[in-house]
Order: sequence, then C-alpha cells, then structure tokens
Amino acid sequence: MTKTYLTGAMALALMSTTALADGHLPFAPGEGAFSWDSYTAFAEANDFSGQTVEITGPWTGNEKEKFDKVVAYFEEATGADVNYSGSDSFEQDIVVSTRAGSAPNLAVFPQPGLAADLASQGLLTPLPEGTDDWIASNFAAGPSWVDLGTYADKDGNDQTFGMFYRVDLKSLVWYSPEAFDEAGYDIPETMEDLKALTDQIVADGETPWCIGLGSGAATGWPATDWVEDMMLRTNSPADYDAWVANEMKFDDPKVIAAIEEFGAFARNDDYVDGGASAVANTDFRDSPTGLFAIPPKCYMHRQASFIPAFFPEGTVVGEDADFFYFPAYAEKDLGKPVLGAGTLFAITNPSDATTAFLEFLKLPIAHESWMVQGGFLTAHAGVNLETYQDDSLRAQGGILQNATTFRFDASDLMPAEIGAGAFWTGMVDYTTGKDAAEVAKAIQERWDALN
Amino acid sequence: MDNIAGTKSSLNWAVQISVILLVVIWLIPTVGLLVSSFRDRDAITNSGWWLSALPVEQNFAVKAEGEPVSKDGVNVIEGNVFGEGSGTVSKFGGRRAAPDAFKAGETAELTKGRTLTMQSNGDYVYTSPAEIKRAPSVYFAAAQPPEFSMVNYETIMGSANMDRAFINTLTVTIPATIIPILIAAFAAYALAWMDFPGRGLLIAVVVGLLVVPLQLALVPMLKLHNAMGVGQSFLGIWMAHTGFGLPLAIYLLRNYMVGLPRDIIESAKVDGATDFQVFTKIVLPLSFPALASFAIFQFLWTWNDLLVAKVFLPSNSESWVMTVKIADDLLGSRGGDWGILAAAAFISIAVPLIVFFTMQRYLVRGLLAGSVK
Repeated sequence: MTKTYLTGAMALALMSTTALADGHLPFAPGEGAFSWDSYTAFAEANDFSGQTVEITGPWTGNEKEKFDKVVAYFEEATGADVNYSGSDSFEQDIVVSTRAGSAPNLAVFPQPGLAADLASQGLLTPLPEGTDDWIASNFAAGPSWVDLGTYADKDGNDQTFGMFYRVDLKSLVWYSPEAFDEAGYDIPETMEDLKALTDQIVADGETPWCIGLGSGAATGWPATDWVEDMMLRTNSPADYDAWVANEMKFDDPKVIAAIEEFGAFARNDDYVDGGASAVANTDFRDSPTGLFAIPPKCYMHRQASFIPAFFPEGTVVGEDADFFYFPAYAEKDLGKPVLGAGTLFAITNPSDATTAFLEFLKLPIAHESWMVQGGFLTAHAGVNLETYQDDSLRAQGGILQNATTFRFDASDLMPAEIGAGAFWTGMVDYTTGKDAAEVAKAIQERWDALN
Repeated sequence: MDNIAGTKSSLNWAVQISVILLVVIWLIPTVGLLVSSFRDRDAITNSGWWLSALPVEQNFAVKAEGEPVSKDGVNVIEGNVFGEGSGTVSKFGGRRAAPDAFKAGETAELTKGRTLTMQSNGDYVYTSPAEIKRAPSVYFAAAQPPEFSMVNYETIMGSANMDRAFINTLTVTIPATIIPILIAAFAAYALAWMDFPGRGLLIAVVVGLLVVPLQLALVPMLKLHNAMGVGQSFLGIWMAHTGFGLPLAIYLLRNYMVGLPRDIIESAKVDGATDFQVFTKIVLPLSFPALASFAIFQFLWTWNDLLVAKVFLPSNSESWVMTVKIADDLLGSRGGDWGILAAAAFISIAVPLIVFFTMQRYLVRGLLAGSVK
C-alpha cells in the first residue's frame, strides 16, 4: 500500500517537471496506479489522425489546464486533435453558437436544465446507442445519472443526451480542525447535534457560521443549496423529486418549512458572521476565509467540494481545513441524503472522433488523470480510488459512492427562469427579511407564468 | 446681480472647490483599483485598499514544531515564531479564539496546566504536564509592513498567448474603427448636402437604429455570416462592429456636416465642383474634429468589447482578444482573483489612454463644434 502511494507521489513530482518540459502526457502509460489496460486497448482500436474535436465548456483557468492534460491522453491514443476552450459565460455562448449553427462538437454543461432546453429545441444529438445502459451499470447510483441525462427531444421522445463527467458534492460543512480542537468541539453526527453545537458556539461567545450569497449576477445560489439540503433532510426523496418537477408547488408548506430551516441559521444575527444582514452582501468566494481568520470569524461553512479553491493561499485541506457531512436529522429516518451537482457532456455537432471521445470518457483513465490533479470527483465505479490526489478527496469520493440517497441540485434541474433566476433572487429577498411564505408564493407565480 | 465683481470671485472659489471634489470622487474607484492591482488575493480580502499603506497589526498562527524535551517532569517545546526571519511580537496567546490575550514577555496559563511564554523577539517556551502528541499552535500579533508587489502584472504579462491576444485586439480594433468612419462619412455627406427623395425618412431610420440593442442581432448576424461562408472570423467581426457602429457614426457626422457654412459649399458648386470634390476637398477636412471624436468612441468601444468578440470570433485560444483572455483564462475559475482583475484592467486601459490623450483636443472640439461660435 505504502509503495503505491510513494509511486503516486513520485509521479506527481515528476508531473510538475515533465508536463512543463514538453506539455505532454503527465504520466507515462504503464506507470502509477492508473487503469492502463482499457486505455491501451482503446488506443489500439481507434485512429482518428487528422480529425479535430472542438469542445467548449465552463472550465477556465487552472481547471482548463487540468482538463487539457486529460485530453492529452485522448490525443495520444487516437492521433486526433482536441480544442477545448472554456468560457466564463458558457451558458450564454452555447445558446448563441448552437442556434447560429457554429456549434462545437461537444459541449460541457454545468446545468442539466440548460442541456434539456437545447435538447427540446433539437440542438443536441442523442448519445450513441447503448450509452445509457453503460452508464446505468458502470456509475455508482447509475440509473439516477441516466435519468439526469435523459431529456425530451424536439418531438417529445425521451432520449439520453448527457453523460456526466465530474461531480461536485454539496452536502459538506467545512471547518478548521485546529479551531474545533482548541475549543473542544466534536464533529456533529446528526442535525440535532449540529444545532446544539451551533448554540454551544454562541454560548461560548463566538460566531458559528459563515454564509455568503454574493456571486455577481448569480447572487443567491448558495442559499438554494441550503434549502435543497434542508428539503432532503426534512422530506422524502419522492417529495424532493415532486418539488423539482413542480408537482409539489413551491409554496407548499413542506417547501416553506425547508426555507425556514435555512432561515433558522441564516436569519439569526448570533449565528452568522456579520449578522443576518451581511449574508446577502458577502461574496461566496470571500466567506470561507472567515474560518481561517485569527481569531476565527466563524467555525463552520457549508459549501460544495470546490470551495478549497477559495481558501487562503497555502491552506492544506486535511490539515488546516477539513469537512464533515452536513448531517441528517436522527429522528426523521431519511437515511443519509447527499446533494450534488455535476457537469455533463452532450453532443452539439456529431462526428466519428466525437463519438470516440465519449468512448474515451467511459475509460477509468479519463477520470483518474483528473482525479490525480485534484478538484475532481467522479461517480464512475470502475476507477481506482487510490488515484485521488489526497485523502480528503478520497473521503468525498467515498461519501458519493456510499450515499443512500443521491439527489441532484434542484435549482440546476428547474427551468432556468426559476432555478437560475426567481429562486436565487427569492432567497436574497428571504435573507434580507421577507417572509418565507411570501417568497415561495412569488416563485410559484413565476413558475405558473412559464406554462 | 451676478455680475458684481465681489461675488464673482467667491463663486469662482466654490466652483473650483466643487470641481476638485468631483474629480476626487470620480478618481476614487480608479485609485482603489490601482492599489488593489499591487496586492494579492488574500491581502485584498483581508483589508480594504485604503488601509494598505499602513502597517497593520495582524494575527498569525505558527505550529510549535520543535522536539518536545522533558524537563523537571514537564514537557517543553522551545522555538522562535519567526523561524529564520525576524520581527517583533506585541501580543500572543495560546488559543485561536484569543490570539492576543497576553503581552509579550508574560506567561500565559493555558488549559490543562499548559503554559506559554513568548518574548517580543519571537522566542517562546511551551510547557505541558502531559505528553505532547500533536504539535500545538501558538498565536501572536505582530505589525505587518505594507506589502505591494508586481506579481499580478507579472502573471498577466507572462501568461501564454498574451502577446497574441494583444495583437488580435489590435487586428479587430483598427479596421473596426476605420471602416465605419469611411462609410459613415460618405453617408453623412449625402444625408446632409445632397437632395434626394426620402432623405428625411432615411435620417429618421438611422436615428431609430440608434436605439436597437445589438444583442438582438447576434444570432441572426452569425447565421448570416455562416450562410455567407464568412463564419467566425476577423472579417466577420469587422463587419459586425461596422454594422453596430454605423448608426451613431452617421448620426454624429451628419449633424456636424449640416452645420458647416452653406456659403462655402454653394460657392464651390457654383465654381463647378462635383459632389465628390466638395466632399473630399471641403467637407472632409472641415469635419476632421468630428471624425476624430467618433474614432475615439468607436476605438474605445471595440477595444473594451467582450460580447461581440465572443460571438463572432472562433473560441480557440489563438483568436482570443484581450478581454476574452482576461475574462476566460486569467480570472480563474469562478472569477475569484480580484488582484488579477485589477491589474488586467490597468494593462488593457493603457492603449486607450494613449489614444485618448493624443486625440482628446479633437474630442472636445468635435463635441463642442456648432454649439459655440
């Protein structure tokens, strides 16, 4: 065991030098804990020299660099060229380019709702036949991933359009182990414990939570995650699905109760750093830094698995910062629900090399080569968990693979006007003092107006 | 009554003071941006830019990494919080929640019989009656001198393809400024000085086009370009910018040309000059201030443009203009690097500033033309 870790570490060290030296494969095939066999077979079976695959997606900056390294393995195996370009305004760009007929081959959608929109307009091509069966049997909680990638096409027939690649885990609470240790706090196992801990921290004269909803034009989305997590912890998964599909109305008492559960944390001046009025004004990128301030501005921060990117420079996850599962109520017997999100690949302009690229994404190596670079979780059940960059990611991967209930971020599944509009602004209104029932009613009215 | 000599000077004072005040208010955001561009992300989140020039008392945490030694029945760790460096500790503490509870030189009684003593030079002694299993953290407050660096600028200037993006921006901007001016000057002359049926209607249409948002035209224009075979290319973006810039250009130039003295143009015509000769020899030279002021507008707008560039240029990194490069590549995923944003703003502002200062006298003249004799 130690030996494999050592090789992993050596490979990592090598990566930083060799990758810079020739901008090529970060790991030589055959080395490390990667699943090379399927890759070699794939390389022998496919040759697309001279062809180009154009991909656009939401990953920019260092995420683009990491994906470029994944892509290098495809290029090496097939001889095809891959052009990936990331865009900060992907959601708008892809609509313009597909409608105007200048679409790339593949698009990486951060929100299934948007992909479903385009599919219903006939702008997406269904995945090759059999892909849905493959996902169902090879992903952890496979059938739910197939459902999330299946939308009605132009004629109203359900087809599988999306293949998930890269998952974010949302039900996480981040904290500083050192601060917890010195104050003598224990990791709460149940929601009751979490609430008791929150009160305990207040009683000690400190502030338990950092919550920030600011995100430019998307201000409010972190609150939707809170409400979704609360929905899963107070209601059955079936209720959650009904809520997403608007079969359960937005102003249903159950939904209002979930919003108020969130409000119990966010609207209490004693619970939140800066007081309740600061919640809507604080940028979500800045709010986790309160955990690391000396003295701490807060002790806990509920946010998705990507948030370490915004921790202060030099913060080591696992040492200076760690996470625990956002617990469920012990008394409600709803299991351990997990909220997540993810990006999915869909075909916007088919070609042979594009199909081959989707085949490549089925290989463990396509996942492992990003897992090792960090900031990546996958639901692919065939990957070697050893390739995760660190223990904390491995633990998150474990949560994902062992979840009793996995549900996708509801706001990403709702129609864009609700999930990326009314829900966000409604939550800002709620945190700034509006009544939950009133906010929920307004959102439902917007939804009614859509149909 | 306003013309009484005594009151005029005091009014002058008031005017000057309010002008200075306005200028200061207008400059504050720019100054803040400039200061932030020299600070890193953590510094920006920790304190406001207006505090950045002062040394701040900051709290630090250091792990007491030294080997525990057993002395008189207690376990002791000794060390210096500054390691190899140096500094002055003003206060210290043994808990994260109270990092500055004790003055340097005092001995702090911590929980479970542990003690911590720290001198102002950073030397500390940590004792614990029980065995020390995990290196404890010690906390201290020290004045941190203001820190500025060029790191943000180096990141931007050193990033791959930045030179390419700069050249791409020029490739887009220069033709996209010149082409609409050429077309608009002809059109403006015709609308101002040539008599033909429907002239008034045409002018009304141009004014009407001023209020059409360009976002409406993105998808149809791109479809048209694809159908024409232009696709996403520099030619396409020149055409797009030309189209989007023309209404304002024609409107501005026509209004200016219409104000030129009728006598000059009529005498030229009496002397036998054709419309083309009148245009090139008389109207164009006289309209230079208006041409220049529109050129500045169009240049600034195309230079700063992100939306049109993203729609009409291919999305690969070889065709990125500077705005796209900054927004999609440098700001990082989810745009959290404020320092880079500030520095990038100053780098991209440099060329428009040069253009503005070399041509500003025309801008003022062009805007005032016709209004003052």
